[in-house]
Amino acid sequence: MTNANKHASLEQTTSDIFDGEVGRSAEMLNGLEHGKFVRYALIGDAMRAEKEKSICIDITAQVAAALESEPTYNMSHNEQAPDIRAEAVNDDVKSNVISLARYKKPLAQFAIAASVCLVALVGVNNNTTQSELNNTLPSLQTMPLTGSVSPVSLSTEQPAIENAAQGLRELQQQRIGALVLEHQRQSRMAYALQQAKQLEEQKKASDVTEEQN
Amino acid sequence: MKKLFIAILCFATSWAQAQEVVSAKQLLTNLAEAVHSRNFDASYVVVKGKAMEPYRWLHGKKDDTEVEFLSLLNGAGLEMVRVGNQVTYFEPQSEPYAIDTDSIAGPIPEVLFKDISILESHYDFVLGGKGRIAGRAAQLVRIESKDENKYNYWLWVDVESSLLLKAAFVNQTGEMLEQLQLTHLSITEEPVAQLLEIAGRDFPKALPKVTTQAAKDAKDNWRIEWLPKGFELLKSDRHKLDLNNELADYYLFSDGLVDVSVFVQRPLPGKRPSGALTSGATTVYVHNSGRFDVSVVGNIPAMTAKSIAESVTRPL
Repeated sequence: MTNANKHASLEQTTSDIFDGEVGRSAEMLNGLEHGKFVRYALIGDAMRAEKEKSICIDITAQVAAALESEPTYNMSHNEQAPDIRAEAVNDDVKSNVISLARYKKPLAQFAIAASVCLVALVGVNNNTTQSELNNTLPSLQTMPLTGSVSPVSLSTEQPAIENAAQGLRELQQQRIGALVLEHQRQSRMAYALQQAKQLEEQKKASDVTEEQN
Repeated sequence: MKKLFIAILCFATSWAQAQEVVSAKQLLTNLAEAVHSRNFDASYVVVKGKAMEPYRWLHGKKDDTEVEFLSLLNGAGLEMVRVGNQVTYFEPQSEPYAIDTDSIAGPIPEVLFKDISILESHYDFVLGGKGRIAGRAAQLVRIESKDENKYNYWLWVDVESSLLLKAAFVNQTGEMLEQLQLTHLSITEEPVAQLLEIAGRDFPKALPKVTTQAAKDAKDNWRIEWLPKGFELLKSDRHKLDLNNELADYYLFSDGLVDVSVFVQRPLPGKRPSGALTSGATTVYVHNSGRFDVSVVGNIPAMTAKSIAESVTRPL
């Protein structure tokens, strides 16, 4: 028996123990490396999803170590805050503008995601009813009709295709979110533009009449 | 004698119709006047399908300057402040910015605050019944599209104050797609204190005015062959979208009441069918025409958006 083979067989036994295939003996357990024991026990517990024996991961040591190596921040940015405010007061325009909008900053990313999400979900909801009512108008199919129910392990390509399709749907939803946001922003200027255009046309018309006179 | 009677009858009905049009228009004119002259504190909700957005709307006059505040109360929020002829938008995603204009572009179409006669060539103003909205006596005024390619807009105007109590986008079968409903309205002699406080703040400088001529560059990139009657090009350019940094040729159209955006973009990979998404009255139609994607966004029926999107071609 070569060394490698021996190693492999030992691993096999270890795994078997925790899958409950082999009766545990003190001898065998003694032969196991401690670290490996903990790992395999965890894997076995997780796979059996045992409720009574809760999975226990002892991370206190790592956390303690991490905390120790963590650089300490002195709270100098708190001390800087009054300076910033003082600066802002000097610059009146800026200070007032910021104060109205400041509290929203941390929510920015969330807000973008939410707006995109909302459009997509609403769209999907309306989709089903709309396509039932109106067959002449195709609706965007954002959920796969088939796929998730196909038998596992028959084809390895199927999941890959599904993943790609999922990615594409996300891309499309993202694009739709961006389009809706852009439309909202641009249409804020629409009325002002319309008025400007009318003024321009009136001016042109009056110029023409002046020329005729 | 009989002929005379018929003639009188004809005259009477046509006179009555003319009278009706005048008064429906008069109500809209009164509304535009009222939202600029009264001090009020109002709350309303916008209902789009299952989604609901609550807003607070304040308006007042400080000396001779109008001050207006509109705030979306849910989520990360959105605040719009108008002082005189400048509107500043405070959005959660970006730096505040200001536009030189004399009305806030919120959920209520701006044309209702202004001269509605520009709508006359493509919409009819019709008087509807009376009702009770937000605890007040209300008169229904319908802005009806002259063709089937656009939605109708119905408004309920407060009989006493001429302010808006309810509004809705209604499709051709009479179904309400998106509703705006006031839940509270108080009209006061003096503007509310909060408004005076807001008016005292300073705001960013308005963005440079975009004239129709300055933004001409993308106009000839694509030909949009069909639009519903009354829509005019207000703006066209090529720019990157804020959210996903994608490049798009952009066209903004308006008929005075609703705005429509047309985007022409590089196609996403893969074969995707064309189709529509709707949220309230807003339609997003994405058309995959092979070598480019056309997307149409606006408060228009899905069939109209589809026709616009499919009419886009490369110029020869």
